[in-house]
Amino acid sequence: MSADSPIVSARDLTRRYGEGEAAVDALAGVTIDLPRGGFTAIMGPSGSGKSTLLHCLAGLDRPTAGTVTIDGVGLSALDDRRLTELRRDKIGFIFQAYNLLPVLTAEENLVLPLRIAGRTPDAEWVDRLVEAVGLGDRRTHRPAELSGGQQQRVAVARALVTRPAVVFADEPTGNLDSKAGHEVLDMLRRSVDDLGQTVVMVTHDPFAAAIADRLVVLADGAVIHDGAAASPDEVVDLMKAVAT
Amino acid sequence: MGALALKGLAARRLRTALTASAVVLGVALISGTYILTDTINRSFDQIFTTGLKGIDVAITPTVTVKQEGGGGSAAATIPTSALSRVRGVAGVKQAAGDVFDVGRIFDRKGKDVAGGGAPDFVASAQPAPFSPFDYVEGRAPGAANEVALDKGTADKTGYHVGDSVPVAGDGPVRRYRLVGIARYGDVSSLAGASVAVMTLRQAQVVLSKGSSFDGIDVQSAPGTTPQALTARLRGALPRSLTVRTGQQQARSQAKDTQEGFSFITTILFVFAGVALFVGGFMIFNTFSITVAQRVREFALLRMLGASRRQVLASVVFEALAIGVLASLVGLGLGLLVAPGLRGLFKALGADLPSSGTVFEPRTAIVALLVGTLVTLIAALSPALRATRTAPIAALAEASTGRGVRSGRGRTILAALLALAGVALMAVGLFGNAQGDAALAPIGAGAALVLVGVGLLSSYVVRPIASVVGWPVERIRGLPGRLARENAVRNPRRTASTAAALMIGVALIAFVAVFAAGLTATVDRAVDDNFKGAFIVQDKNGFSPIPAASAAAVARVPGVARVSPANFSQAKVRGVSGNVAFSGVDPTTFPALYAFTWKEGSNATLARLGPDQVLLGRTFARDNHLGVGDRLDTLTATGGRPALRVAGIYEDRGNLLGDATMTNTALRRGFGARQDAFALVGLAPGAREPDVKRAIGRVLDAGFPTVEALTKAEFKRRQAAQVNQLLALFYVMLSLSVIVALFGIANTLALSIHERTRELGMLRAIGTSRKQVRTIVRWEAVITALIGALVGVALGCVFGALVTQPLKEQGFVLSYPVGTLVALVVVAGLFGVVAALLPARRAARIDVLDALAYE
Repeated sequence: MSADSPIVSARDLTRRYGEGEAAVDALAGVTIDLPRGGFTAIMGPSGSGKSTLLHCLAGLDRPTAGTVTIDGVGLSALDDRRLTELRRDKIGFIFQAYNLLPVLTAEENLVLPLRIAGRTPDAEWVDRLVEAVGLGDRRTHRPAELSGGQQQRVAVARALVTRPAVVFADEPTGNLDSKAGHEVLDMLRRSVDDLGQTVVMVTHDPFAAAIADRLVVLADGAVIHDGAAASPDEVVDLMKAVAT
Repeated sequence: MGALALKGLAARRLRTALTASAVVLGVALISGTYILTDTINRSFDQIFTTGLKGIDVAITPTVTVKQEGGGGSAAATIPTSALSRVRGVAGVKQAAGDVFDVGRIFDRKGKDVAGGGAPDFVASAQPAPFSPFDYVEGRAPGAANEVALDKGTADKTGYHVGDSVPVAGDGPVRRYRLVGIARYGDVSSLAGASVAVMTLRQAQVVLSKGSSFDGIDVQSAPGTTPQALTARLRGALPRSLTVRTGQQQARSQAKDTQEGFSFITTILFVFAGVALFVGGFMIFNTFSITVAQRVREFALLRMLGASRRQVLASVVFEALAIGVLASLVGLGLGLLVAPGLRGLFKALGADLPSSGTVFEPRTAIVALLVGTLVTLIAALSPALRATRTAPIAALAEASTGRGVRSGRGRTILAALLALAGVALMAVGLFGNAQGDAALAPIGAGAALVLVGVGLLSSYVVRPIASVVGWPVERIRGLPGRLARENAVRNPRRTASTAAALMIGVALIAFVAVFAAGLTATVDRAVDDNFKGAFIVQDKNGFSPIPAASAAAVARVPGVARVSPANFSQAKVRGVSGNVAFSGVDPTTFPALYAFTWKEGSNATLARLGPDQVLLGRTFARDNHLGVGDRLDTLTATGGRPALRVAGIYEDRGNLLGDATMTNTALRRGFGARQDAFALVGLAPGAREPDVKRAIGRVLDAGFPTVEALTKAEFKRRQAAQVNQLLALFYVMLSLSVIVALFGIANTLALSIHERTRELGMLRAIGTSRKQVRTIVRWEAVITALIGALVGVALGCVFGALVTQPLKEQGFVLSYPVGTLVALVVVAGLFGVVAALLPARRAARIDVLDALAYE
């Protein structure tokens, strides 16, 4: 596989909810390729299908039709066990609500995916991530003792720790104030620049979208814009156009 | 609000069912016990009413000392002269003496037909209308070598008229020709008992009654009512004879027999109480969790204008609905439990009679009331907590029920409860109360200790979880770690969940410790005291042996001496309850039994006169008796000897009862007709196995119910008897463990519901379903182990405490380490079972649903 071939690719993705008259297509034939080492933002108004697209790309939801390929592996052929392993080994996930385990310390949460897989964390790598999170001496604190921004940065590090093929982030700044949100976005940006990480982020925050390399806009389950990211103002204009 | 509560219950069907199950078992046990005992009582009523149907007036020897338990048959008889006196009373149309006592009937293979705990009887054939038997085949016995059997026994053994049937009384087995098979009125069974009917004369011979009777049956002349005749006969007969109408006699006999079974009722109710107690814990726990989870719901109701009282009413109503539902199901289940309990007792060697199923209204009332009340009481504290929900809580983040209140008040309360419990137990154990009066404070104290420790055990959740969780983490890695962390996440919840299991485990451990001590005590007493080679006793371990059997063993070559001992209970002035007298042969006994004398010596025993008595040390001390003191005694045959204390011996193991006399004195004055056991000593040079075989041959031929055991065999036999009872306790207590199992499952299910989002995240980042199941399973195991460890520790403490007063009677405290370890392991496995459903549920959690934003 060449370095240029897309790390994530979706072909004619359709996701239909319900049946018959009441059926709704959350995705209506989406085709998208995400190159290695890129930072893609997905935007769209509520109900545009952006979360559904993310879930289908990440193997959390199964499309009604179409295919998803991650790092050369077609997801539709995988059973539940293989899909779980794929999520474990090739995908990093960042949630809006941090979703750290309250019973584990910050550092334990950080290495959680490795320990689930039964692998020994590489100490140097973990140290580097801890440093990037900027916890300092709070690495042994539990999530309840951390601020929202700190928790989300731990969640970002957790998504990176397995060196996944792709990191999916679902509204990662949705629960944060702008300063904390900016720190989280900065961390994601650096993972792309310094580590060559591939990141896909769903957001409705124009400032967040502006930090990406590429902007995909969805409306009614279809891609209506796919191009280089722009400044926040341009993104706002774009979204206004979509809304009307 | 009621409708809302009902809708909530219907919507959470599984949780409702699990919660209700806590009460169902206890209620089922209560109603099952009532049904069982009512059925037993009805059966005996029928049997005795039938037996006395044709008898207008029944005359029996007055019972002076009611003999309790087994160990020796002793009863006064009626002299022949009384019969002629009865016949001389005006209004007596007909009177006949009868004989009815315990004997042995053997089947074709030579096995005793009894064997279900119910005895065999030898009875005299009575003339009409006194005979309760209707001959369905053949006729009544008319000659000394003839016998008739009840139909149930004939059917069971396959004997037909003309067969030869071996029957024994006090002497060796003899064969009789079966001439008749009879139905006992219209009663289908004699409660498992068997009856061999013989001529009056032969029955008197077989049962060593001489020419006397066990009873006189009277038929009144036309125009004389039984009541009038009874009064007249009372005036004509001495006080040593009791005169009752047939109906009165039937009632009295039924009552005596039913009293003999009353301990079963007591035991079963204790177990039902334990199950309900555990169930109460579980209800409390479930309601505590659901109330915490529903804080928002309550707050919303309050915001919409519901009063505290309405919130309280809604939770109480929910508890009421669960209580009534569970009680109804339990009541119905009781109908199945009753035969189940009967089967259990049968498996353990006690065949209880049953004729149909007796369902009294009282059964339903008590069962419904108790089940509902237990549920309501257990739910009260969580319900009150629900009322404290502030309306503003509706806007707050979902509470997970942690850190609700500081636990100091609760801790102090729990500690006080536990201390009060220990104090109550001490009062029962070391106070002056005896018997049942002492058991009540001990039981209540133990219950308080269990509640107190249950509440306090939240403090040991963390340390125990770290210890038992460590290897789990080693083996299972991260899922093990998470299991441990989840277990200690809400120590109070884990503690009260584990407490339910703790109660059952503590009681099982206590019973195991007590039983081990009992066995160890008997072992030591036998080792310390028995000097002979063999002990001759009945194969069932408690029935008396015919006096002739000891004599037969004495004639076996290689046997140097045989020393039989007999028992009888009597009353002594100034002593409450019955006093257990043993009778030994003063010439042979000291050679086979090592006395430890406090006062006196073997010479005292050798010279012991018929009016002299030796006392066990504890009996002498408790009643302030010393050598030279006088015992005014009332014996089972109505005698009133004044006995002098001649010596005092150490009574560790309590092998010889409270007081010891010569066996001839006991036979003559106390009515001890048969021996309890006999000790056998070997002649010099005789080989033990050879002699044992030879004795076995003699006993098999003449006394098939008797056997000779070596000391080791005797100890094993005693242990086996203890273990049989132990099995019953284990089975019954395991019911409360099962309730606790439901409790663990319920708590887990609720916790998983709380952690849906976490589990969804774990699945999203690559945790396999198997790993999720592992997390839940090990959390259950850790919870179960916490309960088991605290329970075993508490059981051992109870065991040590309760046996403290028995120490001076030679009780040897012994901890059955293997059993206790097995108990903990089984509890852990139970945790695995309890986790099955919740684990499956957790593994099935849909990732997207779990992560769906609110």
